Formats: sequence, structure tokens, C-alpha cells
Amino acid sequence: MNQRVILITGANGGLGQAIAQTFLDEAGENLVCLGVHRQRERAEVLVEKNSARCRCINLDVTIPEAWASAVARILDEHKRLDVLVNNAGKHEDGLLGTLPAASWQSVLASNLDGVFHGCQAVLPAMISQRNGRIINIASLSALLAPAGQTNYAAAKAGVIALTQSLAKEVARIGITVNAVCPGYVETEALAGMNEVDRKAAKAQIPMRRFGRPEEIASAVRFLACPEASYITGSILKVDGGIL
Amino acid sequence: MEDATALKARIKNMIVENLMLQITASEIVDERPLFGPDSLGLDSVDALQLVVGLDKQFGLKIPDPAAAKEILHSVNTMVAAIQRAGAAGGLR
Repeated sequence: MNQRVILITGANGGLGQAIAQTFLDEAGENLVCLGVHRQRERAEVLVEKNSARCRCINLDVTIPEAWASAVARILDEHKRLDVLVNNAGKHEDGLLGTLPAASWQSVLASNLDGVFHGCQAVLPAMISQRNGRIINIASLSALLAPAGQTNYAAAKAGVIALTQSLAKEVARIGITVNAVCPGYVETEALAGMNEVDRKAAKAQIPMRRFGRPEEIASAVRFLACPEASYITGSILKVDGGIL
Repeated sequence: MEDATALKARIKNMIVENLMLQITASEIVDERPLFGPDSLGLDSVDALQLVVGLDKQFGLKIPDPAAAKEILHSVNTMVAAIQRAGAAGGLR
């Protein structure tokens, strides 16, 4: 496999770290750019271990100018951008009746606006290359729409619709756009869950266990690999069989 | 500055190559609309590719959809926009 340049947002989190590691392991030629915003400690450790082909890039995904600057830097240094993984996102759960408008807006901004800005920022380069892979991390919440997640579920459902619509727009240019819908995954998102809730959650999962970040990362890597060249507009669930 | 005839040839080649059209560059008529009725039959995805191609190959930045509609009307309008930007020192 030839050298590929990969940008992963939300790269300080557990899932972003696993995705980055998977691409680093995939091929010695891969260059992995870690989009980070406020927290970057774990991303910097990954860069230290892989300094020749991994670097941090400041990127607040909610700001179009930040995207323009990050993509320009990557193109200046590497002359191409092959894969974008829109992984950044956040939860601010609560029942809609009492959900602050600010929570609605900030969750939509991170999870949905960020994907829009990211896709728009990388398209010119991918159009020039007539090749590119965009993989958006959605969520099973988009399909299950659980109580207490109106903001998050709506944002992730928007990501799915964006994915399918954009896939149709750019298919003939050689760009694929797909989404991965993780179920419960052992990341910081589950860290705050108490033991009773963890048991209850596992009981809903046919495999009776939470997913590992590496298992989500493998799905992302597959959608970015040459063998997935005819897959676009797909929504790949990685959820242990919940849906 | 490159003369209009040479510029037209380069633009037509870009259109055929970037959009993978099944015609030759010489079959594109200078003043024929690229979009809409009685046109070459291009669509909005083609327009997006032309915007990227004009920036990459000619250094012409198209700032918004209204400008794109005007500039991408025909080969002649693209030539005029490139020449205007060149005269104004706006090209790379």
C-alpha cells in the first residue's frame, strides 16, 4: 500500500487513539495527523512514540477557519490528504424538558457542525486528487434515540443523513463517504457509568460485553482500505448485535 | 499574460480531463453555456470540480456561489475571469 495521509479528529480520546494506532499499525508509510483541541496529552504520547509519521494538529472542529488552517498545513507538508475520520464529539445528556439550549447547541456544534466543516474543508483536496475517504463516526444513539439524548441522537442522526447525501454528491469523483455507528464502547464515555448501569447495559447486548475501541477502529480502517472502494453511503454498525 | 486562445485551449482541456467527458476539447464551443438548457449538460457536481480546477490550475479563487454561476457560464466567461484576476494581480 502506498503512503496515505490520514487526519483523525478527537484524537486524544480513547476511540481516536485506537483509530490512530490502527492506521499506524496498518502500514509503515502511513502519516497520521491527530486533530486535537483542549486535551492533547495522550495524543502527544502517541506522537512521541511515532514521531516520524504522526503529529498533532490544533483543530477546534466547530470553527471553519481552524479546519482551513489544519488542512492547509497538512497539504503544505504532505501535498495530499487521503483519509478524514470525523471522530470528535461530545455528550451533554439530559431530558429535553430541562435541557439548556446551550447544551443543545454545543452538542450539535461538535457532533454535526464539525462534520460539515470537516467535509467541506477536505473536499477541494480530495477532488483534486480524484480520490479520498471520509469516515464519520456516528452512534447507535442515532438509530435507537434513547431518552435523555435528544441533542446527541439528533446530531448523530444528522451525521448519518449527511454521510448518505454527501456520498451521492461525490461518488463519481472517486471519494467515498461512510459512517460507523459504535454501540457501547469501553472509552471515557462509559467511564462514569456505575456498576449497576453497566450490568443493565451489558444485558441489552447480545454479545454480553462492551466493545473495545480497537474493534471500532478496525471498521474505520476497513472503510478506508482499497478493498472498500465500492462502498459509499454505508452505515456500519459495530455494536455487538444490539440492533 | 497568456493570450486568450491559449487560455481557452487550457480551460477546455481542464474541463474534459477533470470531468472525464466523452468529447474532445475542440468540440467545446467558446460561448456555449456549460449548464442549463441547450448547454454542454454539466451539473452542480461538475461545477464543484471546475471551481477546484480553476483554483488549482489557474489560481482563480471563486468566492461564492453567485460568482461561480457567472464565471462558470461558458469558456469565454472563465477566460474573462482569469484575465481580470490576472490584470488585478489576483492570480498566483
